[in-house]
Amino acid sequence: MKIVVFSESPPHYRMASALAQGFNAELIGISPQPQKLTDVNYVYDKLDEDGLVDFISSLSPDVVITGSVRRDRAIASRVAGRLRLPYIPDAVSLGIEGNVIKVTRTAYSGIALVDVTANIPAVITVAGTSIQPKEKETKVEKLSFKEGRIKTLSVKSTTSGASPATAQIVIGVGRGMGSKENVNYAEELAKSLGGVVGGSRPVCADLHWVSEDRQIGLSGLRIRPKLYIALGISGQPQHIAGIRDSKVIVAVNKDKDAPILENADYLVVGDAVEFCKLMKEKFKR
Amino acid sequence: MNIVVGFKIVPDDTMIKATGDKIFLDVPLKISTYDKNAIEEAILLKEKMGGKVIGITVGNIERKSVREALAMGVDEVLAIKTQKADVYSTSLAITENIKAFNPDLVIFGEQTVDSGTSGVPGYVAEILGLPYLSNVKSLTIEGNLIKVERGMVSYVEEDETQLPAVISVGGEINTPRIPSVRQIMESAKKPVREVEFNPEPKVSIGEPKPLIVNRKKTIIEGNMSEAVDKLISQLREDGVL
Repeated sequence: MKIVVFSESPPHYRMASALAQGFNAELIGISPQPQKLTDVNYVYDKLDEDGLVDFISSLSPDVVITGSVRRDRAIASRVAGRLRLPYIPDAVSLGIEGNVIKVTRTAYSGIALVDVTANIPAVITVAGTSIQPKEKETKVEKLSFKEGRIKTLSVKSTTSGASPATAQIVIGVGRGMGSKENVNYAEELAKSLGGVVGGSRPVCADLHWVSEDRQIGLSGLRIRPKLYIALGISGQPQHIAGIRDSKVIVAVNKDKDAPILENADYLVVGDAVEFCKLMKEKFKR
Repeated sequence: MNIVVGFKIVPDDTMIKATGDKIFLDVPLKISTYDKNAIEEAILLKEKMGGKVIGITVGNIERKSVREALAMGVDEVLAIKTQKADVYSTSLAITENIKAFNPDLVIFGEQTVDSGTSGVPGYVAEILGLPYLSNVKSLTIEGNLIKVERGMVSYVEEDETQLPAVISVGGEINTPRIPSVRQIMESAKKPVREVEFNPEPKVSIGEPKPLIVNRKKTIIEGNMSEAVDKLISQLREDGVL
């Protein structure tokens, strides 16, 4: 059996490799940085999506396991489409018996788990696993692509320092924070608690109150801090999907009937800015 | 320009509740959130460049949601009824039924709020043999060239390719219009073609089971200063501060 692992994101590559290592198979990894988790690791410098889809397809894999970041999903769905294979995203566990692959995946913005089955070959993306991959003896090879039909004109990083993805305390900002200026109060509170500020998708990707790489939710970051404080976030299912694994969730909202209550341990009713000022002051004492 | 826009009719995600060991899916239906952005973008392009917008929906073909797409400005809808579907069979239902239309651009929302696979746009692109640009947050078209900005969370990538092409769009690209009463009335006259198409899916999908995280749901009200004191002592007790 041959399993191909790909992710553009190192933590997702580790998750995909961890699941792949559970099978007695030849493991072929593809990643932007060298990783010692598969038998062979193809490392590319500049990605071309057409080229990568061609390459993975040419390997005739029995199973393709990718991460779940946006680029991974684009590649995985195309490989499945190219080879007309079953496509199963957001796996949290998987098993293979004979020719049948059985996957448990999340659905409905993470409020449900669904068991799905298909015949291999198949393409899977991984949403999360706590299994850790083991280091392996890996043959590293360089991989370069010809330019395909898509020409990349520029790539601008949105990376802005410490990430909510790995922080122990995360403060999430929503539209209810009121303005970009008010986000400073959240930043100051985060600093005093030793945490990191993130935001809902509209606040990050649309309003740009918080930098774009810090969007928390279904299609952004899925975080698992010990404490998450949601400021002025109403609790849309897509946001909840990104915070579900937090140990304790605090929400601050003017509306005590805000849907986020369903997913919060504590809901402080009131103004988020006033909360930030008082919380910072009192925590110092 | 011939534009095809795919949209999915789904249970309203803000109303789905998990109770005990069941997911309560018998809630009002709606057009999936980003699929409305896809419809809006198709209409904006048509308004700017002329042409025709064909909507295509696979699975549940509820009349009210189909009407909403038409009222927004879609010219006609192809409603494909399927019993069970996966990414493969949905993609096949789309490609088999739009080939004759020869689209210059096929637009989808980047992720639905039900199964949320984000798999159909890329799968469709491969069946049609067209280039695929995912997660588009802005676009311009000049002649046969489409130039896009793609929001990839940790970076923004500017790409271009030749039409025909397939794209997926997110919530940043536009604000979907709310149709007027007159547009809603007039949408009744627009053509809807209903088709049954049941290719065998490649993935068999079980019953969804709730994934419940029990939360305390404690409301702390009143004077903010006292509320914060109370919260801090609770969080210390929980061992997270």
